[in-house]
Amino acid sequence: MRRALTLTAAAGAALLTRRALRRRIRRSPLWPLPALENPVSGHSPRRLLRATVVARSEPAQGVVQLTLESPELPAWAPGAHVDVVLPSGLVRQYSLCGDPADKGRYTIAVRLVEGGRGGSAEAHAHLVEGAVLRVRAPRNRFPLVTAPAYVFVAGGIGITPILPMLRAATAARADWTLLYGGRTRASMPFLAELAPYGDRVTLVPEDEAGLPDLGRLAAATGVPVYCCGPEPLMDAVLAAAADPSAVHLERFTASTPTGGAKAFTIELHRSGAAVEVAADESALAAVHRALPATPYSCGQGFCGTCRHRVLAGEVEHRDDLLTDAEREDSMLLCVSRAASERLVLDL
Amino acid sequence: MSNTPHAPAPVASEHIGLYDRRGLQPRNVSFSWEDTPLHWLPGDPFAGHTINVLHLLLPAGERWFVHVYKQVLPLITDERLRADVVGFIGQEAMHAAAHDDVLPHLKRLGLDPTPYTAQVDWFFEKLLGDRTLPPGRARKWWLMERVAIIAAVEHYTAFLGNWVLNADELDRRGADPMMLDLLRWHGAEEVEHRSVAFDLFMHVDGGYRRRVRTWATAFAALTFLWQRGARYFMENDPELPAAKASLGQLFRAGQQGVLPSTGSMLKSIPAYLSRSYHPSQEGSTAQAVAYLATSPGANGAHAANGAHGAHGPHGGVRA
Repeated sequence: MRRALTLTAAAGAALLTRRALRRRIRRSPLWPLPALENPVSGHSPRRLLRATVVARSEPAQGVVQLTLESPELPAWAPGAHVDVVLPSGLVRQYSLCGDPADKGRYTIAVRLVEGGRGGSAEAHAHLVEGAVLRVRAPRNRFPLVTAPAYVFVAGGIGITPILPMLRAATAARADWTLLYGGRTRASMPFLAELAPYGDRVTLVPEDEAGLPDLGRLAAATGVPVYCCGPEPLMDAVLAAAADPSAVHLERFTASTPTGGAKAFTIELHRSGAAVEVAADESALAAVHRALPATPYSCGQGFCGTCRHRVLAGEVEHRDDLLTDAEREDSMLLCVSRAASERLVLDL
Repeated sequence: MSNTPHAPAPVASEHIGLYDRRGLQPRNVSFSWEDTPLHWLPGDPFAGHTINVLHLLLPAGERWFVHVYKQVLPLITDERLRADVVGFIGQEAMHAAAHDDVLPHLKRLGLDPTPYTAQVDWFFEKLLGDRTLPPGRARKWWLMERVAIIAAVEHYTAFLGNWVLNADELDRRGADPMMLDLLRWHGAEEVEHRSVAFDLFMHVDGGYRRRVRTWATAFAALTFLWQRGARYFMENDPELPAAKASLGQLFRAGQQGVLPSTGSMLKSIPAYLSRSYHPSQEGSTAQAVAYLATSPGANGAHAANGAHGAHGPHGGVRA
């Protein structure tokens, strides 16, 4: 009798366990492993996003404006640019000139450069409505700081990163002016978009008015200056500005500066040592002298193994791998250098 | 003295240095997935999905390899081995990134892998991650255990790499060339660096008992994760509403040559447990290096490479 009771109880318990397990398995097809709350795999911020050209227009002579669309396109802020992989595989960077509030769409404008390296010619010839291309998530090395007033200077197609800044500055009720130069009125894009801003905008087509008068920059002390355009214009802005440290420049050329490597000091916070990086060696090589087991691999900035945390100092990022968020507190030792005199690393 | 480490010598003709004097180097690769269909192996979704499990396991798994090996670098006293491990780390980092890129494409094709990969992420980042252990013996033990697990897993990646380099049946069936190139580039690098994980394990520990124990762990984990991945894909494939994965299909695919044969998989078990085992005894470095020299993905033919091309002037804004 007692035995029968025990058996019944055991059988009942087994049945209940089985039902509980079954219910659990049915509820979650992937029982019994737990999952990471924020999955990493398949969510790389570096991957290329596929976008379709949904609109194409010519806002000025020799300039095409393309609207790219994809539900995957991340949000961006004025000053951002994207890497665009053209159908041939060439990679070019274009500033976003649309409205950040327009989710899922990016607008870029490309000027045809005669005798250029082929990127703009390809964009003009092949990026028609319906074309599919790949873009990388935007980066911003020309961010708009919050200020009560701004001076914007644009040269030709250099208006592209400035245009969303004007909208943002207007929305924030900031006091701003734009000096916009170009070769001829017909070659200057977005004049229609600029018209509502009235006398805040000074247009300087070279064939009518010569070169823009940068005299007003000298008077604008304490006002951030944003300039994008040809190299001579940016040099002139830098020379004319009352406070060169308030000048923000967006260069047309490669994101990764090649020349002008300077020597600097790296302080290794955890080991308490300091190493001098010579102008002709990498930060990695110098760190290796003090800490030979510091991880690295490719030495060219693509594998990401030598990414280390930066505790203090300005970094000049020379890689194309790290995202803006990663750049805030880390660097790739193999290619990137210091923009300041010294860097403090968490090593 | 069953636990005495004694390192079997590598097969002399298979040393990497013979083929590339710079030693192991990561390659900057790129692939584009736009044109790859869900069933990239025509007519055999089961075999295709069984191979697809690689995309589920490798991103998290190979990131974990890198994470563990970064910690073991200071323990290496042999300069040549250290150079090989450095190359190995970069190659694994690129493998993880390349397979990771396939996942959003699968999602786009209607087969969202996230429920599964989130678990694999947990498996590698939490279960096998750095535990809060006191510095000293416990921490070293856990590091050695993981180094040994990696050596055992690398035995299987080399096995699979060698298989895919020679799997002519995949070409005959008209498999998607982009996917084949990813698999063969990866397989070739696995064959190229197949001795590194084992040499490292023998260098820093080499205990036979640990080798057997971690082999059992790795084998059980791989079998568990793989069958689960194949079943997940088959059951959630939007184009195959009633499909199921089964052992019979695995056996048949092995016979047809679209997956490794069951016999060769069974034979690989005693191979790793043999005391005279060295990874250089199987596979051909020359074949791997020859493939890598012509792989479109490793030589920039699928483009998109420019942005990563070291630090030459490459992108004119609006140029």
